[in-house]
Amino acid sequence: MTAPVLPLRRTPLRRLAGVDRLAVAGAVLLGIVVLAALLAPWIAPYPEDGGSATHPLEALLPPSGAHWFGTDQVGRDVLSRVLFGARTSLLIAVAVLAVSGVAGVVLGVVAGYAGGWARDVIMRVTDIFLAFPALLLSLALAVVLQPSVTTVIVAIAVTWWPWYARLTASVAASVATRGFVDSARCLGVPAPLIVLRHVLPNSLTPVLVQLSLDGGGVILTAAALSYLGLGAHEPTSEWGLMVQQGQSLFTTDWWVVTFPGLAILVTAFAFNVLGEGLRARLSR
Amino acid sequence: MRWHKRLLAAGAVAAVTVTAAACAGGQVRGAADSTPQPGSSAGSAGGTADSTFVYVPNLDVVTDWDPASSYSNEIVAMQNIYESLTRYNPQTKKAEPRLASSWTSSPDGKKWTFTLREGAKFHTGKPVDAAAAKAAIERTMKEGQGAAYIWGAVDKIEAKDATTLEFTLKYAAPLDLVASAGYASYVYDTTAASGDLKKWFGEGHDAGSGPYTIENWQKGKETELTLKAFDGYWGGWDGQHYKKIAYRVTPELTTAWQLLQRGEVSFVQRLNSQLFAQAGSTDTVQTSQTPSFQNLLVLFNTADGPLKDVKLRQALQKAIDYDGLVAALKGAGVAAGGLVPEGLLGNIPGMTPKQDLAGAEALLKEAGYGPGGRQLELTLTYAQGDSDQELLVTLLSSALDKLNVKLSAKPLQWTTQWDQGKAKDPSKRQDIFVMYWFPDYADAYSWFVNVFHGEKDVQFNLSYLKDAAIDKEIDELPALTATDKAAAEKAYADLQNKIINEQAAVAVPYVQNYQRAFAKSVQGYVDNPAYPNVVFVYDLKPGA
Amino acid sequence: MPRYLIRRLGQAVLVVAGVIVLTFAVMRLVPGDPAVAYAGPKATAAELAEARRQFGLDDPLPVQLWNYVRDLLGGDWGTSLHTRQPVRDDLFQAFPASLELVGAALIIALVAGIPLGIAAARYKGRLPDLSVRLSSMLAVSVPVFWLALALQTVFASGLGWFPVAGEYDASLDRTSPLHLYTNITAVDALITGNWPILTSTLSHLVLPALVIAAYPAGVVAQMTRAALIEESSRDHARLERALGFGETAVLTRFALRPALNPVLSLIALVFAYSIVNGFLVEAVFNWPGLGRYAADSIRSLDTPAIAGVTLLVAVLYVVANLAVDLLQGVVDPRVRAR
Repeated sequence: MTAPVLPLRRTPLRRLAGVDRLAVAGAVLLGIVVLAALLAPWIAPYPEDGGSATHPLEALLPPSGAHWFGTDQVGRDVLSRVLFGARTSLLIAVAVLAVSGVAGVVLGVVAGYAGGWARDVIMRVTDIFLAFPALLLSLALAVVLQPSVTTVIVAIAVTWWPWYARLTASVAASVATRGFVDSARCLGVPAPLIVLRHVLPNSLTPVLVQLSLDGGGVILTAAALSYLGLGAHEPTSEWGLMVQQGQSLFTTDWWVVTFPGLAILVTAFAFNVLGEGLRARLSR
Repeated sequence: MRWHKRLLAAGAVAAVTVTAAACAGGQVRGAADSTPQPGSSAGSAGGTADSTFVYVPNLDVVTDWDPASSYSNEIVAMQNIYESLTRYNPQTKKAEPRLASSWTSSPDGKKWTFTLREGAKFHTGKPVDAAAAKAAIERTMKEGQGAAYIWGAVDKIEAKDATTLEFTLKYAAPLDLVASAGYASYVYDTTAASGDLKKWFGEGHDAGSGPYTIENWQKGKETELTLKAFDGYWGGWDGQHYKKIAYRVTPELTTAWQLLQRGEVSFVQRLNSQLFAQAGSTDTVQTSQTPSFQNLLVLFNTADGPLKDVKLRQALQKAIDYDGLVAALKGAGVAAGGLVPEGLLGNIPGMTPKQDLAGAEALLKEAGYGPGGRQLELTLTYAQGDSDQELLVTLLSSALDKLNVKLSAKPLQWTTQWDQGKAKDPSKRQDIFVMYWFPDYADAYSWFVNVFHGEKDVQFNLSYLKDAAIDKEIDELPALTATDKAAAEKAYADLQNKIINEQAAVAVPYVQNYQRAFAKSVQGYVDNPAYPNVVFVYDLKPGA
Repeated sequence: MPRYLIRRLGQAVLVVAGVIVLTFAVMRLVPGDPAVAYAGPKATAAELAEARRQFGLDDPLPVQLWNYVRDLLGGDWGTSLHTRQPVRDDLFQAFPASLELVGAALIIALVAGIPLGIAAARYKGRLPDLSVRLSSMLAVSVPVFWLALALQTVFASGLGWFPVAGEYDASLDRTSPLHLYTNITAVDALITGNWPILTSTLSHLVLPALVIAAYPAGVVAQMTRAALIEESSRDHARLERALGFGETAVLTRFALRPALNPVLSLIALVFAYSIVNGFLVEAVFNWPGLGRYAADSIRSLDTPAIAGVTLLVAVLYVVANLAVDLLQGVVDPRVRAR
């Protein structure tokens, strides 16, 4: 799901310097999640539990000093797995946003700057992809592909790029008609250079804001795919998978499901708050 | 406000486009193809929900409606619709009268005479006589599918008179036990359909003589199947009985448990150990735990893919954390000794497997895989919604991960899992197939003849083992069991050594303990492990 | 107007065509042989060949695509591998239940989201605004499958306020059978005056509808707030204030109607998204809709069924979008010029 189209004005990154308080809060929260992911092998109380260790004899211990978040059905420390799960989720988010962002920006700039039939074709193709809610097409793709983290990345990226293509196209189109671009063209600057020097940088800011706003959506979609058994599989630590595997334990051993679910919530929330803050700042 | 109207209009457009073709106009839900029967006691009797027994399985119920070939989860319904000549009693370990009221066998065990109960009727209205029973069993034998092998000893069947059925055998066999089998032993009306009988069954019709008959079957629906009382049942409907059975497929265990706790359903086939423990301390719910003959089989693909290499199969056997799994099952399973569970001829008490990661690593290395070598990628399929199998998968994939083996495990509906296992193209099959197995009657032969005997078309030999020497030894088992118990025991031990140790076609992680949870109001429930997961609903009393 | 209508319709047809091609392409990626899956493992070579012929798997891809489109238009959406019913019939049965659930969720979302958005705009920058913004961001960040499990455990199982799962108490089918007209249980119960089923359905609806409503409620609240703030900074608002209208009156009496236009245009998008979100919720609450059907299909590797669900939801989205656009075109002539 994407926010309404941004106001089309020249908004260099530098304008984001005096950021909104909401954005700061989101950035701090997200920073904590990123730190947890980066430092997981060092800060996890039982780093081996984030990988392939199992301790069936210590299965389903409630939260205690030794296991703050308790243990799961094969005796793994839930806190450690939640921390390692941050790596999987952020990896998916970064990969999806990078792939779809690059693809979208390239196609969008082409469409916006070139206009004409190139624009028409690209826009009609994005229309088609946008007719599928992200989870739906990812779900269909993930069924026919072998489930894995890579599948999740591919499946989501395929449904995500059209947003950036459209956004970039509209910005690029408006930039392309501006005076300084016209002057550059009249001075005989070659088209690729114009795109590179003028159109691209000016189109980038709204896309970056949109990317940060979409991080939450990617995290949620990825978790949903894993929850449906179409994504990460054992022994990978992944939040959606942890919820799925623990869901029959919710009434008896609440901690197995509660903490990974909260982790998804917090991370998606951090992305959304950051993105919302950036957008508020940008449209001011 | 105007936007309101617009919104309504938009909704109406969407609704109309899709439901238009479905508007046949006022048909009644759930009654699409069941003709109302005048005087039917079903449903209206008492008018309370109590007279419906609601059974909760986690998988779809019906794979095959044909009583000749049915060999799957539908047993939970079939045993309430159809009857066989006898029924096995796990307490006395003997067969008891069902459609046959008594029977005798000749001293050499080769001639068996069953006397049929008088007054029994099929749901089609036809009386259950010796000729009908002969026709049914002969059809089952001729179809030769599913568990039809149980009649392998039978040479000929004769209907001496309306109530006398005589079997002549090729070799001595305990035919009263055979006739109590959970599958392929049903007596049914072979003249029920005017056209193709198999097709007629497939449409959701039945031709049994049991206490219940099919009322409604909608594959893929939540309440997949409902059965209603058969008024003409020979046992009669005096006293208190459930008049209906509904099978409500509930894939999520928590949901199943909550439904039971709320009193919305009567019986849950399987919870996980934690919920079972909670059920034990819940006032409105009763529990029962019974040792079973059902064990879990982890079948390795011996015919195709990387596991063709016996070293890799042995490595997998060693990678399974048997003790850990039994510990994590918390009472739902006990360690297995070989293929044959305790209590059956052929069980080998000392043959309990142990995890040996170093041994597994060494074997993988020999085959060129393992840590530092190539990564081995394997596929595994198991039953969706089964938390016990999920535990195995979690433990196994974790152990294998340490050994540089990547396991892709897919939880599937049984039909899909099975179809994939039977795929014509061997490359489409899985590397590892996880399923439960239980004997068709109280005899170990079933594991060997069904799962490890070479097959022309794959049915249950899902390790695809094809070994002439093993096949020959299996073929000799029934006669040997009937004539020389000691030799039979030796043959079973030898076969298990070959299949598990030499061929490494299978790993057997545990034998199940049946853990059932059911409503307090259900009276008279006894788990009969000879009929896995079956509730004989007619025998129960609906209480308050 | 007719030109706008034709252009917009043409676009929609083009998109639907693309959707069909894309679905076809995705489903042809499927590893595994649909003929084997259908004919069954016991099939002979001849039966297999027959199944291949029947499915047209021998033809070149463009021919297969053409056949696929022809069958779709002719109403043949293939046969489900797990229910063995025509996919179209399955969808006709499952979709009304999903529509009921998502419809209820959207009503909740609008009823909760719009007033919250108004409150936030009214007290912009103050505590009510901040709490509405934060809670609406929480609402769009929560994983629905987890929220579904949590609400089910707490309110159905724990407190016993609502039923655990299902669409209505199935035993009512006998005591008060429901006559079907629209196939939407709550609607049929309402128009036939079947109160037992209506009340049962409504109580079963509460929890899953609340879970699905979380996302659209958050989006609607945010959108309403943003649109109101923009609207109330326009000249007409300044005039209204000058005329002595209070801030609340300016917002609700003058700014609200134009501000709801963008909210309305979101509804189509949110509707399709909620249907798919419902997939995750229906499985938990065993709701007999598209989601349960899709989940069953996934576990049965039932590609015709998945293709059917995908296609239905995508087409539905295109149609809903079209309907909203056309309605807006009727109401607001400026839209037509875009």
